Amino acid sequence: MISLRSKNKEEGSRAVTRARPSFLGLALSLPPLLLVLIFVGLPIFIGFTFSLGFTKGPNRIISIIGQQIHVKNHWWGTFAAYSDVFHDSRFLGDLGLTLFVTVLSTVLVILMGLAISIYQRLIRSKQASVLVTLAIIPLFVPVVISAWAIHTFYGGDGFLRSFFAQFGISFPTLTSTASAIVIGSIWTSLPFAILMISSGMQGIPDALIDAAKDCGAPVARIIGHILIPLAKTPIIIAASFTAIGILGSFTIPLFLGPNQPTMLGVEISNFFGSYNRPQQSLVMAFIVFLAASGIAILYVWSNIKSAKESGRI
Amino acid sequence: MNTKDDMGLELRGLNKILGGRVIIDDLDLSVAKGEMVSLLGPSGCGKTTTLRMIAGFLPVDSGQIMVAGRDVTALGPDKRPSAMVFQNYALWPHMTASKNVAFPLKIKGLSKIEIKEKVEAALELVNLLHHKDSRPGQISGGEQQRVALARALVQEPDILLLDEPLSNLDAKLREKVREDIRELQRRLGITTVIVTHDQEEALSISDRVAVMNSGRIEQFSTPQDLYRQPQTEYVATFIGSLNRFEGNLQDGQIHGGTDVIGIRPEDLTIANEPLEGSHPGIVELVIPRGHFFEVVVRRQDGLFRAFTNENVPTFGEHVHVKIKKALRYQNGKLVA
Amino acid sequence: MRTIFRPARLLLNLSVLLMAFFILGPILWLAAHAFVSGWQYPHLYPSGFTFTWWSKVFMDSALKTAIKNSLILSPIVVLLSMVICLPAAYAAGRMNYWGRKVFMIGIFSANSFPKIGLFAAIATLYYTLNLMGTFVGVLIIQLLGTIIYMTWIPAAAFASVPRNLEEAARDAGASKFRVFRTITLRMAMPGILVAIVMSFLASFDEAQGSYLVGAPAIYTMPTEMYSLVQNYPIQVAAVFSILLALPSVLLLGLARKHIMGGQLADGFQLK
Repeated sequence: MISLRSKNKEEGSRAVTRARPSFLGLALSLPPLLLVLIFVGLPIFIGFTFSLGFTKGPNRIISIIGQQIHVKNHWWGTFAAYSDVFHDSRFLGDLGLTLFVTVLSTVLVILMGLAISIYQRLIRSKQASVLVTLAIIPLFVPVVISAWAIHTFYGGDGFLRSFFAQFGISFPTLTSTASAIVIGSIWTSLPFAILMISSGMQGIPDALIDAAKDCGAPVARIIGHILIPLAKTPIIIAASFTAIGILGSFTIPLFLGPNQPTMLGVEISNFFGSYNRPQQSLVMAFIVFLAASGIAILYVWSNIKSAKESGRI
Repeated sequence: MNTKDDMGLELRGLNKILGGRVIIDDLDLSVAKGEMVSLLGPSGCGKTTTLRMIAGFLPVDSGQIMVAGRDVTALGPDKRPSAMVFQNYALWPHMTASKNVAFPLKIKGLSKIEIKEKVEAALELVNLLHHKDSRPGQISGGEQQRVALARALVQEPDILLLDEPLSNLDAKLREKVREDIRELQRRLGITTVIVTHDQEEALSISDRVAVMNSGRIEQFSTPQDLYRQPQTEYVATFIGSLNRFEGNLQDGQIHGGTDVIGIRPEDLTIANEPLEGSHPGIVELVIPRGHFFEVVVRRQDGLFRAFTNENVPTFGEHVHVKIKKALRYQNGKLVA
Repeated sequence: MRTIFRPARLLLNLSVLLMAFFILGPILWLAAHAFVSGWQYPHLYPSGFTFTWWSKVFMDSALKTAIKNSLILSPIVVLLSMVICLPAAYAAGRMNYWGRKVFMIGIFSANSFPKIGLFAAIATLYYTLNLMGTFVGVLIIQLLGTIIYMTWIPAAAFASVPRNLEEAARDAGASKFRVFRTITLRMAMPGILVAIVMSFLASFDEAQGSYLVGAPAIYTMPTEMYSLVQNYPIQVAAVFSILLALPSVLLLGLARKHIMGGQLADGFQLK
């Protein structure tokens, strides 16, 4: 919500005080914190050490089960597993595909989200609400089902091919291609992006748009200079989360993508399970983590930049 | 026949229906160039709707709007030669004061140097040059309003529209801002229309005031005329205080009847002894109002409110109230 | 509001049509297959209608087990999540304690990261703890997915209860507990309900992690889908999909007013 007030006033029940040490507060937050630390923090740490060749202790069993395990030869571990992965042409192909699909899908999702949200903000018509409602529908469908439904729809006996067959056109089978992954990724990412961007747009007061019109602004300028800058934060949130989500996705590329190259999410599962190379699997997982962190850092940096600009910091 | 030079704003036969209700009913208004007028009335009277139609945000159902002699009825707000200062100022929070003011000039395509000059001149006009790089969130409400004003003035509009300009300011600030606006408007000579529900505001700075009721203008005159010669009962009760009685006036006495009598508080005299045609009564309230007193006297079937500052009576005293001058209304209209 | 002229209106209606096709097409196409006896390419209509696939699904023991597992696990997961997370949400929403922001952002980051990598790391730990292929193992995975919803959304709900309402109740003589019960909890209830719905769905629809650590010993409905689509005809997959989507559609449909009305979006703002 855009506020024109200069000082922050907090309505609601949190007292407007500076954060202070509170035993009760920390105690109450302990259960979920512990759960996350033990089952997210710990595995990540142990997994990271495993990827560097630490095979004792909690990594003992997996080291016995797995193949092609590299054991550490320095105090800090070994880069052998990482070297394996980076020299694996399969991985490099996957990395390329993953980045390509992520960037393309994110851009398309944001463009669609912007188009629908801006349209809904400027022209309050029935079509606008219908578009928004449609865009949110995928939220209601579990990912596994979405992936399979899209597979059957665009597949060999799917609707698309059958439809064009009526006109004698042999439409290509889209499944097992990168395009299908892009379609599936867009389909599942739209709801969150629309919810974010549309709420950002709706929060812009009418007066700000009217004032621009009064100053003589044509629609393009209103969109570019007023609407988009004011909705910048939700747009960036939407873009970051969409990108991170697609980057590490598994089910969509599994059902819709080719066997090779595939997205890194699928490859991680392949290496861990079928190929029984857990160490290399974890190396890939950390590479994906790194990429996701990069996106997250971009998001935080842009947040800080815009907070500085608007004078909040 | 008015020449183009005389015309500030002309509204002819405006009509607007919203949600099945008639909001504006056959409204006419003629504002001279350089004149400052107010649209005054309670909420729901249609004054804001009228302003928005002048600005172009609301299309008219029928009628014409002429600004500086040009018919602008079919134009959108971006094409009209009007500039509006919104009630909550509507400054863009992500832009500095300078950028806010520069916005309309960028659209016109002026050069960077020209823009810088005009922006600084406009901010200088409202005494805010020192805040040119501040953001709206960093300055006070009154300062925000001045930036909004600068943004409107920098467009060199044919007509300036102000929507409830003083309602968000505190009392002390209001007087000062009122006078600043008046002084600025006189200096620049821009035709200005103000929308307000506050009669003190309207009466103190306008050349003429249009008192509105249910989508029509009941009277459009100078503040003095509105006060002294309110043409309708509605205007008489809306402007200033009024002692209102139903009945006829004969020899200074109120009798039963079909007319409506309105008496301004300063047209009542309070005396200790009966005067010719006076009414007896008991003092119920004595309210100090600064340099005068408001005295409420209860008489047999109603109250008199009078203003006086000599021989001020006390609570419970028996006094006699004489009517010096009265306004007579038949069917809501003033009769001589 | 100006009217939109002809060509623009045509374009708009076209885009609505395309959008409907893009979004609804796959779902309707799959759902239709649940009721057909056969549907050959390139026909746009099936060769016959039948309900037999429904009985086939309900009689298949593997599929029935998967359904049973899902229906047992998810309610337990949600209840556990409430017990673990709601006190933390209350604290985060109402007390401005040191480390609150770090806590919230930490929970958020843990959830935003690519899950499949996380599950691989968790699987490594599970081997050591002997949790692979166990109920508890799958339960923990699903529980992790609910934490973000059961902390952030109720925290925002608790934070939005105006303090002065509670103060007025205390002033009128109510005890702290009574105020909590009748005012705070009641006003935060819509947010908590949204959190419960989102958590239930997060658990019920959880596929990747459960697949990685549960298969082949334990299958829930979503993980069953992974193998089902390869081993059974498309009609079975269609029936199973409708069954799997049912709780989702019902619950989100009931809560949609709150979700689209802003509880969900509000819940993700850190104040």
